[in-house]
Amino acid sequence: MGLRERKIRVLMGKPGLCGHDRGIALVVMALRDAGMEVIYSGRHNSPESLVEVAIQEDVDVLGVSILSGGHLGLCERIGRLLRERDAQDIVFLAGGFVPPEDIPQLKAMGVREVFRDGARLEDIVRFVEKAARERATA
Amino acid sequence: MYFERLKTAEEEWKQRHEEEVSKAETQPCACEDGIPVKLLYTPSDVRADFHKDIGFPGDFPFTRGTDAAGYRKKLWTISHYAGFGSPRETNVLFRRMIEHGGVPPYMALDLPTQLGLDPDHPMARGEVGMTGTSIASLRDWEIIFDGIKLEDTFVGTVINAPAAVILAMHVVLAEKQGADLARIRGNLQNDILKEFTARGNFIFPVQPSLRLVTDTLEYCAKHLPAYWPLNVCGGHYPEAGANRVHEVAFAFADAFTYIEDALARGVDIDGFGKGIFFLMKSNHTDFFEEVAKFRAMRRIWATRLRERYGAKDAETMKCRILGHSGGSLLTRERPELNIARTTLACVAGVLGGIQLIGLRTMDEVFGIPTEKSELIAIGTQHVVAHETGLPDVVDPLGGSYYVEALTAQFETAVLEEIERIERMGGMVKAIESGYVRKVIAQDAYRTQTDWETGRKVKVGVNKFRIEESEPPRRPYEYRPEEERRQIEAVRQLRRERDNAAVEKALDRIKALAREPAGSDSNLVPPIIEAVRAYATIGEICGTLRQVFGEYAEPTSF
Repeated sequence: MGLRERKIRVLMGKPGLCGHDRGIALVVMALRDAGMEVIYSGRHNSPESLVEVAIQEDVDVLGVSILSGGHLGLCERIGRLLRERDAQDIVFLAGGFVPPEDIPQLKAMGVREVFRDGARLEDIVRFVEKAARERATA
Repeated sequence: MYFERLKTAEEEWKQRHEEEVSKAETQPCACEDGIPVKLLYTPSDVRADFHKDIGFPGDFPFTRGTDAAGYRKKLWTISHYAGFGSPRETNVLFRRMIEHGGVPPYMALDLPTQLGLDPDHPMARGEVGMTGTSIASLRDWEIIFDGIKLEDTFVGTVINAPAAVILAMHVVLAEKQGADLARIRGNLQNDILKEFTARGNFIFPVQPSLRLVTDTLEYCAKHLPAYWPLNVCGGHYPEAGANRVHEVAFAFADAFTYIEDALARGVDIDGFGKGIFFLMKSNHTDFFEEVAKFRAMRRIWATRLRERYGAKDAETMKCRILGHSGGSLLTRERPELNIARTTLACVAGVLGGIQLIGLRTMDEVFGIPTEKSELIAIGTQHVVAHETGLPDVVDPLGGSYYVEALTAQFETAVLEEIERIERMGGMVKAIESGYVRKVIAQDAYRTQTDWETGRKVKVGVNKFRIEESEPPRRPYEYRPEEERRQIEAVRQLRRERDNAAVEKALDRIKALAREPAGSDSNLVPPIIEAVRAYATIGEICGTLRQVFGEYAEPTSF
């Protein structure tokens, strides 16, 4: 069990064309306030570029936010790309306007946890800390 | 003398009720944006000059309303906003509404269209027809308005970055129908500045984006006098998290930027100022401040347009406000309470004397509203309009010590923020530097932590919770067959049209876009020619992307 010196590294970004970024901005700020290193890649990212940056930046966590209804298609592509690049150990999180009945499908695609609209920042921070710690000690 | 006597009387009152008053004052109240709220207001809190600052409705500075007879002249418009399916389905809906004597509702477009991408662009995958109609070329516009005379109707379109392309489609179709352009009515949202910081549907960098807005304002002032080419949207700021002072300050800073850019081109303020509307939030939180906001907005706008921009026509000085209740204040928990929230939001708008009100449905938090909840939202407004007597008196809160004091305080706070932005070099700089985005994010963070810690009450969420099961969601339905149809249609169009003519028209756009902004390089005329040749929205915006580049948003908060 190696104690990791470095801070938890997170990439947050919005895949697809959805422009709503209030939620993701809040999460970025909350994770930074909790002492993590957060890269925010803004809006209008392709799944390919998000996965590429996540690998290049050697992040522990990749978080995406989608409110346009396109979460299934976009998360499926991101999950597949992570596996193809042998990077499925990156903790893949999704948030936004997600119907509860879609959650099992998202998890099957490789999404570790889904934080729907209305989620508490405190809960997200705690989950990320725990998941990143587990990844470091795995 | 009067105010001194009043001060003494107030002090004496405090002493007589010391225990009660000082106990109440130990818990200070304030609006969300920090404007303090006192326990009691008296004439000493109102230092306004009645004639100069308050006055009469229908008269400068319009604090008390844009019309002398208020809602007795005309009730506010009860608004209704709807999403659509394909161009063909939209056509059926529009024709039905026109047959029944109505006007088509504002048109929602899908994200690829709003971002200037054709349906077959890789980034459009899974998004075609999702949040509204997909429009790739003039052919789609022809389908939507098949059998509809543009001269006889009003077409409102929620379009921003590619607004000039949609305007061009409208102009070309009107010409083909043999219409008199002077009689064409309609409205583009066309408020690109708020896209960079709040709504997110931007394409080009800020400066060339502003140029395109000014091009449309100039074109419409010259050729489409009855058309409204701009809605300034303050309401997207609070939805993104901004407080109320920032909502108004940013909306005005955006509007002043458009105006100053157009004036620099020599466009007459009285030629386009009347066509500017403000799309704001009307919310139930900090209720009296919402009323004060609308009153202060009218005073700020009228003063600025007359004093700074030389408007002479009183109609130009009138700040016309459309108010919608905010979706971000609704709750998934105990959703029926959203009706109570929107009822109060409606009353705030009415007391503020605004021109149009739209209420969110109680179930919008679960996706596309049911017909029943749509009817409740409209019926709520009917109750306010017809059962309460609220519309009978113009500006009924005018003269309230509290509301007048709050109106003045709110006005001061907004003017201070506008000044701060102007000291930074204006709104374009404030956006590019990331200032505006940062302010909004920080406001949102404060609100979120206030909710999570319970400092701010959300009934049903952090207080008065009732455990109940959640109703099923109704998200936008992805229709792959619709996406395939739109992709096939645009490919067929590219096979059938005169591609040499398209190339030539796109080259002309590129050449003019390279020229400095100005009347001689207005991009609307060459975009009209490209649209006429059936160039697609993706090709036209793609050509402009080649010259202007794309906006890279600042990503630090």
